[in-house]
Amino acid sequence: MEKSTDTYLYMRISEQDKAALEQLYDRYEKILFSFLYKMLEDRELAEEALQEVFIKIWRGKGIYDESKGKFTSWLFRMAQNTAIDLIRKRKKPSVPIEEAMQMASHDLPVDEQVEWKEKKGQIETAVQRLSSEQQKMIDLFYFKGHTHETIADMCDIPLGTVKSRIRLALKKLKTSLHGMQGRGAYDD
Amino acid sequence: MTNMDCDQLIDYLNGTLSKNDTDQFEQHLTSCTECQEIVEATGQLPYLADPMEPPAGMKSRILSNVFEGTPEKNDSPVALKPEMAAIPIQKPKQKFHIGKPLIAAVLLASLLGNAYAFMQLSDQNQEPETAIQSIELEPSAAFSGTATAAMIEEQGALNLVVKADQLAELDASQVYQVWLIKDDKPIPAGAFSPNPNGEGASYYQLEESSAEWDTIAITLEPEAGNELPKGEVVLSSEI
Ligand SMILES: [Zn+2]
Repeated sequence: MEKSTDTYLYMRISEQDKAALEQLYDRYEKILFSFLYKMLEDRELAEEALQEVFIKIWRGKGIYDESKGKFTSWLFRMAQNTAIDLIRKRKKPSVPIEEAMQMASHDLPVDEQVEWKEKKGQIETAVQRLSSEQQKMIDLFYFKGHTHETIADMCDIPLGTVKSRIRLALKKLKTSLHGMQGRGAYDD
Repeated sequence: MTNMDCDQLIDYLNGTLSKNDTDQFEQHLTSCTECQEIVEATGQLPYLADPMEPPAGMKSRILSNVFEGTPEKNDSPVALKPEMAAIPIQKPKQKFHIGKPLIAAVLLASLLGNAYAFMQLSDQNQEPETAIQSIELEPSAAFSGTATAAMIEEQGALNLVVKADQLAELDASQVYQVWLIKDDKPIPAGAFSPNPNGEGASYYQLEESSAEWDTIAITLEPEAGNELPKGEVVLSSEI
């Protein structure tokens, strides 16, 4: 249901319907801003990145259709990529590795969106099932946007295996999530 | 994992593939369940973020920058694209008297980043060319929301601004649709959906001027873009 209405909004946006873009903005403002803030750790940069995301959507620079999977996956990937671009342009040194280890805190205001809360719980549980090295890998790769070289350095693994380690970590994450979300019927 | 395409997954997620490689990898995604599932799982990582309150005024800043430079159908700035072209009405023009209190209501439409057009208007409201009428809409029995409409006639065009409050949240596809009605014949005249504070606003411009409408109504439509009302009337008023 979520999927089809997002797709419908997106379709209207591609016809330059401003009201539709505004609706999409309202729907995802908070999660996107929070996510971008988590990546960029700066409110102004997070706003800049969010603006960039909606400019891309409005100008059709990224094109979504249902063959590309869930709309939110597509949207979040675009947001993540946008933030990475900003991180790489930024001169500031990145956060110390100890901080990078903290994947998330556990409290969430009671009035927060149910869906977010539920997903947050699931993904936190799934992350906690990973080895600490795998957690670090996902954080450095996904949230901190580090290059493979930096990750090889930070995790003390050969450059040639960085990608396959990240893939393995994400694959394990996926398997845990499927278990929780009742989609465990796939053969791996 | 010996598949070359599967190897590109991480670069795909990182957005470091070229346009061509991205297209190629997306092709691969349609046939590779594992890569597909990893992409979906990765797409849930953002939910790890702790909820943050967005900075004040962020929405209007972002939307006005996003819409900057978007060509409009008319020469004057329009905040929302009309759902469809208005039906031209061939009637003699009739001017309303200027109603000053309206300017405040009109400025509320600046929520939509549309202040510019109306700031100009409010500066010039002594000009005989501009005629304004304010209308309070009456809610239907079970409806808790309120709305004010402003009809501004200027230089041969009719601008309709509607500002509503205390609106119930809608399903994603639903919209509040504004209609102008003449002899039981409605035309769509703007649509909006409420923000989290239950406020909504629309702006609509008719290319042909006319003061001949007898009724304004707002319905709750199951989807946007209907040419005729399908939903219940929630607010209305005679004009
Ligand atoms: Zn694959």
